[in-house]
Amino acid sequence: MSSLDERRAQFQQYKEDVKNRGKPFYPYGMFHDTVMSLVVVSVIIALASVWYFTSSSDPNACGSGHSCLLGPRYSEPADPGTTNFVPRPDWYFYFLFYLLRIFKWPNSVILGTVGIPTILLIILIMLPFLDVRRERRLLRRPVAVIAAVLVVISMGVLTYKGATAKEALASEVVQAVPTWAEREGFKDNKDAVAGATVFASSGCTACHTYLGTGSSNLGAPDLSSIGKGGLGVQGFATYVADPSKAGNNVMPKFAALGDQKLHQLGEFLNASKGPK
Amino acid sequence: MAVAPTRSRKSARRQKLEAAVNYPLDWLEERSGLIGGVRYFLFRKVPGDINWFHTLGSATLTAFLVQALTGAILAMYYKPDPATAYQSINHITNDLTLGWLVRGMHKWGASVFIILMFFHMARVFLFGAYKYPRELNWIVGVMLLAVGMLEGFTGYLLPWDQTAYWATVVGINLNGTAPILGPFLADFLRGGSEIGGDTLSRFYSMHMLLIPGLIFALIGLHLYLVVRLGVSSPPWSDEAAGGGSQAPAPSTNGRTGLTQPRARGR
Repeated sequence: MSSLDERRAQFQQYKEDVKNRGKPFYPYGMFHDTVMSLVVVSVIIALASVWYFTSSSDPNACGSGHSCLLGPRYSEPADPGTTNFVPRPDWYFYFLFYLLRIFKWPNSVILGTVGIPTILLIILIMLPFLDVRRERRLLRRPVAVIAAVLVVISMGVLTYKGATAKEALASEVVQAVPTWAEREGFKDNKDAVAGATVFASSGCTACHTYLGTGSSNLGAPDLSSIGKGGLGVQGFATYVADPSKAGNNVMPKFAALGDQKLHQLGEFLNASKGPK
Repeated sequence: MAVAPTRSRKSARRQKLEAAVNYPLDWLEERSGLIGGVRYFLFRKVPGDINWFHTLGSATLTAFLVQALTGAILAMYYKPDPATAYQSINHITNDLTLGWLVRGMHKWGASVFIILMFFHMARVFLFGAYKYPRELNWIVGVMLLAVGMLEGFTGYLLPWDQTAYWATVVGINLNGTAPILGPFLADFLRGGSEIGGDTLSRFYSMHMLLIPGLIFALIGLHLYLVVRLGVSSPPWSDEAAGGGSQAPAPSTNGRTGLTQPRARGR
């Protein structure tokens, strides 16, 4: 008897068992479902209430007078001109968000953005065809149990790390500028120092690191010795203004900074040839 | 099916009343078969030892229906335009009677919906309920999970605040890194090369028309398969669920009624 025949026979057995010994869905299953649904709706209402009553109509009032246990009602209105806002997805994308700290632009970032999610989705879809054994008892499915535990742990850790990832505050980063100038040896280049300040205050450190400052996000590389690449002052300025022209579609455009600041940034990046 | 004449000692008045109640139901049944369908759905047999773990699927459905209802109400007041979107969200949350509750339920219901999808999936995985003959329903479920997360992604932009805007900028750029299709996908999502009014109305349309329509259709298919194949019993059940060593009933001849496996020779 082939394994498919066995499975067919087993399903036939199941149908007969359910027919003879099962219970009608109404009221038995319906009762459990209804109770559970009421719990779900109650939890949603409770979350909405806590969210609303611990926040205020002013998104900046969080922390002063309002605990905002579940976050503010909304943040400031969208402003495409700002550059120092740290992008952050909704919590169920945190695991992807954190995954991108592991992969670096431009060589392997595609693994984090597209590769791993696609592979996970394919494995998930293929699961019934990868595991064709009839066995359903957990103790006799060690591979499935271990895989489940590993997936839960890794998703949990990535989500937690994504949730607690520290964000670089522009005000703190700016204080590091003199140290950078000292260590990289560009303190005599006024434009480069000005560029370093632009770099520190324009949100670049939300994704890039520089001599240990900043938070590494979305696959953005460390820039401490980016000047070695030989793009040149103008090359860096053009790149930052619109990275998509150089094939980088992850980094936002910073043309809004204006020519002067872009030039200073170019001086700064060009002067960053690694700590001396 | 007409009302069956009863031989009971019911009064004439009672009989008339029952006939009056049954008439519309019979009328509907005769023309659509819907009453029989509902009756089949409600009184179908389920394994005797189903338990609370089996409620996660219907709990997910409930969370989705909450989203559909609150979403429809929000759509009455929300204005998908960069100039007015933020203001309309502000108005809904702070001024409208119970507007905060509707928006709060929609915002938090989304998270509950996603969590319940994962819990439901974990239950199906641990119970081995994706195995023959329920493989197709597992695939439909995975599609629902993916489409559900897409629904979360498109909805996140709509408040048009800084959080929404920059998360979407990055999210779309990440899609853009995919080989070959990526840039086209990113341009399609943005409705151009920059995120602006076209992006917002596009996301709004996807969030409240395209994706929910797809979700409703997939849920319909999902439930159809659940009813057709039956609810799987827990793996510890003795109702032929554990893949135990019971000898298969010879009377089945290997046929399930679902397929005609022996038709091609043998």
